[in-house]
Amino acid sequence: MEVRRDFHEQLNELYAETLRMGSDLLETIEKTRLCFINLDRELADEIIAGDDVFDAYIDRLEGGGLELLARQAPVAVDLRMIIVIMRMAQHFERMADLCEDIATAVKHIPSDYLSTWIREAIDEMARRAVRLVERSIECFKERNVEMAMELDALDDAVDKLNRKFFKEFDRGREEDLEVAVRVVMVSRFFERIADHAVDIGEHVRFMVEGTISPT
Amino acid sequence: MEDNGDGHKMQVNNLTMYYGDFKALDDVSLDFASRHITALIGPSGCGKSTLVRCLNRMNDLIDGSKVEGEISLDGENILGPGYDVISLRRRVGMVFQRPNPFPKSIYENVAYGPRLVGIKNKEKLDSIVEDSLKRAALWDEVKKILDRSGQSLSGGQQQRLCIARVIAVQPEVILFDEPCSAIDPISTQKIEDLMAELKKNFTMVIVTHNMQQAARVSDYTAFMLVEEQGQPGRIVEFGDTNTMFTNPSDKRTENYITGRFG
Repeated sequence: MEVRRDFHEQLNELYAETLRMGSDLLETIEKTRLCFINLDRELADEIIAGDDVFDAYIDRLEGGGLELLARQAPVAVDLRMIIVIMRMAQHFERMADLCEDIATAVKHIPSDYLSTWIREAIDEMARRAVRLVERSIECFKERNVEMAMELDALDDAVDKLNRKFFKEFDRGREEDLEVAVRVVMVSRFFERIADHAVDIGEHVRFMVEGTISPT
Repeated sequence: MEDNGDGHKMQVNNLTMYYGDFKALDDVSLDFASRHITALIGPSGCGKSTLVRCLNRMNDLIDGSKVEGEISLDGENILGPGYDVISLRRRVGMVFQRPNPFPKSIYENVAYGPRLVGIKNKEKLDSIVEDSLKRAALWDEVKKILDRSGQSLSGGQQQRLCIARVIAVQPEVILFDEPCSAIDPISTQKIEDLMAELKKNFTMVIVTHNMQQAARVSDYTAFMLVEEQGQPGRIVEFGDTNTMFTNPSDKRTENYITGRFG
């Protein structure tokens, strides 16, 4: 027997909506990767225009979460799930903003200006970031704490690539300064995206186990 | 009072309780912290009212009731032979589900208990009545109508009158058995505020069907359950209220408080 069925249905819908937002976001990050490596300005415009979708998602998820908190007095796992959904919506939205930032940077990089090493290095970082985000959504979907706790280690590789990138520029490569700065920022944006995925892993652990501080 | 605010005012150890052949509680152990509020929650028939009625031996009044185990008040077993039940009920007062003022004036309802213990001095009685009504957050509403019948008050006021009546005999523990289930939401909130205030001086136990009420007012929560029909009630989980409502450790507690049964 189950009571509070309406409430649980609303909560399940919120959960499904979070997964939809995650899935749309994942697609956007992948598009952003392609946008950068191909310096595809059309795709950049598409990504920038698409950010509204995520603003709408966050309105629905935060609004829905607030309503359930206010009207249903959720407790235990239900309460934690609502809190986590609201936090995830924030993370997703920021990741989408970072994609928008990357797309904006792409529009300022001349199309014949990207050397192969930069393209490859960013591509590698972006692919890893995509995989991290994918896994963070997966562990939320599966309520898998073990997988969530692996994200941090996966993120180390992204951090390393980001640092390596700075060093490469140090060695006096002859990229134009403005382009160099933009590329470094793009690297940093992908690195931030990966960080958000790690945070999501922590939230998943809170949702499943109720533990507040990460060990 | 012997307690220091940190210790346990009452302790229930391995309590088993029967109504005739029917075992209503099985091996219940639970400590009630001094000057804190402990809530007992659980589905109907889980034994929470039975347990709370053991704490001032109200069940003695029921034919065929029998208890095994130990309940101590300040370390003394109240189930022991020759224990003075009358003084127990003075030390452990009770507020019931339905407000039950005596068919007497508001004043007499509160003065009744003190008179019973031999206080006759009018000034002394006046001051106890005023003080008790103030502590029950009812004084301002009734100070001009003290001679009116207690039963003429609204349900919520009647319940606060009953609380004042309990306070008037200066108990150490107050048991609340579903104190708000028969009164309106604003009165409910007043009683919840009142309980928070009374916590400074009294140890309280509340049985409630309203889980949010338990979450709002109590410091500790015990979840009781009858696993299968005909089985006795048992404590499934006991813990601080915050943990019980954010991260209970027993799946059965979680299922109950989130409304997912079976």
